[in-house]
Amino acid sequence: MTPDPVHRRPGELLFALLLLVFSVAAFWQSYGISGFSGKTTPGVFPMLASGVMVISGLVILVSATRKPPRPDDAPGFFADVLPLNYIVLIGLVFGYVVLMPLVGFVVSSALFLFCAFQFLWRKNPLVVLMLTALTLAVIYLVFREVFQVVLPQGTLLREYF
Amino acid sequence: MLETLGFFAIAWTDPWLIFLTASGTFAGIYVGAIPGLSVTMATSILISFTFKWDVNEALALISGVFFGGVYGGSRTAILLNIPGAPSAIATAIEGYPLAKRGEAGEAIGLTTVMSVFGGFVGILALALFAPIISSFALMFQSRDYMLLGVIGIFLVGTLSGESFAKGAFAGALGVLIGMVGLDPMTAEGRFTFGSINLMGGIPYVAAMIGFFGVAEALVQLHTLHTPAIKQKIDRIIPKFSDVKKYFWLALRASGIGTIIGALPGTGGDIAALLAYDDAKRSTKNPERPFGTGNREGLVAPEAANNAAVGGAHIPMLTLGIPGDAVTAVIIGALFIHGLKPGPLLLVETPHLFWFIVGSLTLANVFLLIFGLTGIRMFTKIVECPKAVLIPLIIVLSSVGTYAIQNNPVDVYWMLLFGVIGYFMKTYGFQVGPVILGVILGPMMDSNYRRTMIRARQDIGDFLWSFVSNPISLILTTGLLLMLLSQTPLWPFLRRLLSNKKD
Repeated sequence: MTPDPVHRRPGELLFALLLLVFSVAAFWQSYGISGFSGKTTPGVFPMLASGVMVISGLVILVSATRKPPRPDDAPGFFADVLPLNYIVLIGLVFGYVVLMPLVGFVVSSALFLFCAFQFLWRKNPLVVLMLTALTLAVIYLVFREVFQVVLPQGTLLREYF
Repeated sequence: MLETLGFFAIAWTDPWLIFLTASGTFAGIYVGAIPGLSVTMATSILISFTFKWDVNEALALISGVFFGGVYGGSRTAILLNIPGAPSAIATAIEGYPLAKRGEAGEAIGLTTVMSVFGGFVGILALALFAPIISSFALMFQSRDYMLLGVIGIFLVGTLSGESFAKGAFAGALGVLIGMVGLDPMTAEGRFTFGSINLMGGIPYVAAMIGFFGVAEALVQLHTLHTPAIKQKIDRIIPKFSDVKKYFWLALRASGIGTIIGALPGTGGDIAALLAYDDAKRSTKNPERPFGTGNREGLVAPEAANNAAVGGAHIPMLTLGIPGDAVTAVIIGALFIHGLKPGPLLLVETPHLFWFIVGSLTLANVFLLIFGLTGIRMFTKIVECPKAVLIPLIIVLSSVGTYAIQNNPVDVYWMLLFGVIGYFMKTYGFQVGPVILGVILGPMMDSNYRRTMIRARQDIGDFLWSFVSNPISLILTTGLLLMLLSQTPLWPFLRRLLSNKKD
């Protein structure tokens, strides 16, 4: 078991609280399935599972409040847990998965790979462009030919492919 | 017997299957070695790509990746002091100091031979014990399966991660995710909120790829600019005297690995640490102190984590309960191919069981070949920058998730689970129990209800059934012992009792 760190991580308290709120909501929803009307109704097991979540969520929250926060000069939430490059990358991925069914695998992946490589690697755009083309070609060949995966074609550009 | 041999030989005679096993092993070594790529990640992405294949082909590839990946972690552990996989943490402690002395090649050679040795012990145990356990498992009642499921999830939850509460939370969250959709017994909707998309349930492959692929890629973003260190490689084939010297140690470590692997919920990483600990205690006069390049400390964890591969297959194939996170993913693959791992698997589809044994053996042979060659080329590829790796993982994860049902909604699920998984990992939760919960949740639910119906809805009868049958009694005792030893319940009870005495 990895040892529990001494100090509370930034945002840990909020996360524990969110988990507890989610667990309580899940329990409420589970109760709504069939209530306490019987012992073999579909709602019993979900209530057991969410009940365990509520109890362990409480324990997690209490132990998080007991831990002292980090010293003031330690990196905060946005420096340590969610720095800017995370927000940008998650945003890029989100754009990618939204675009994929619209413009198809090839176009969306090319855009995503180029932006992500450029953002994370910061090399000459021409080098990045070549890398993007190369990796995309390899991925396309391997998955289309070897794995025979149906790649999304995209509803907007269907006529052109 | 002859029939068994015939099934076993399928994996060895079809050139295409041999090729798949070989390329799986080869790819697995790199996947395991490149920090940031894990075996679980690779297998979960792979099953989404291979689900349209023939079962044998998919299994040949996955067996190879599993074996190669468990071994591959040791190479980066030795060369770069970065365990490529959690199961190679102990390897790094002894292997990197050896590399710094200029004995990297020898260390790699020795770990390869011992990994392969451990692998064979695990496979042998699988071939010998699975049929026995399987016939024994026919006597298991629904309550026993429920108990095994709970034990599996709790074991994963307690042995990894920061606290029991976090492990229990992750496991229960997984069970809850597994509950979403139409109830298989009454077809009532659970957590569907009237959405057709949710009625079919949350696709577990999307959850797996999200938690193991995207979440892991996001965690890796923290170490984007860790520079790589170069090592000199010389002699690779280990001395025969060395192999002979460490034989008994490797055998014992393999035994530990097989048993730990076979326990539901515990896998190679825990096996490796326990075997390392055992080697530390049992080696009387070490050549070099442990932690400074001791060979015993290198041999034991490597033999153990590869032995755990065969061990982990035992509960998966005989009981339908995965032995660790990777087998949880593989069991998902078997479900997709319409197979039901459990005590009847060996009776109804013996060819499948012996085929798995055959392709694992073959993968182990390839491991020996690839393990002792191509190390110079290997060091080049492992230096692949993370800035290139992370976007690639994300593209593969997205395409993989999409490929299962051609449904873009699955990809949104994957991304959501990826982000949640990242936060969970950041705050000290493990994602392994979540996946085990997703896989085992529905099984536990239906077994709970069967047990309750059999007890005629009477709580007293229901509880009595857990202690009135020898198998159930053993499992119940095991679960209670685990709960008492891992939670604050025991000190709490003791305090309560001593207060009363005062």
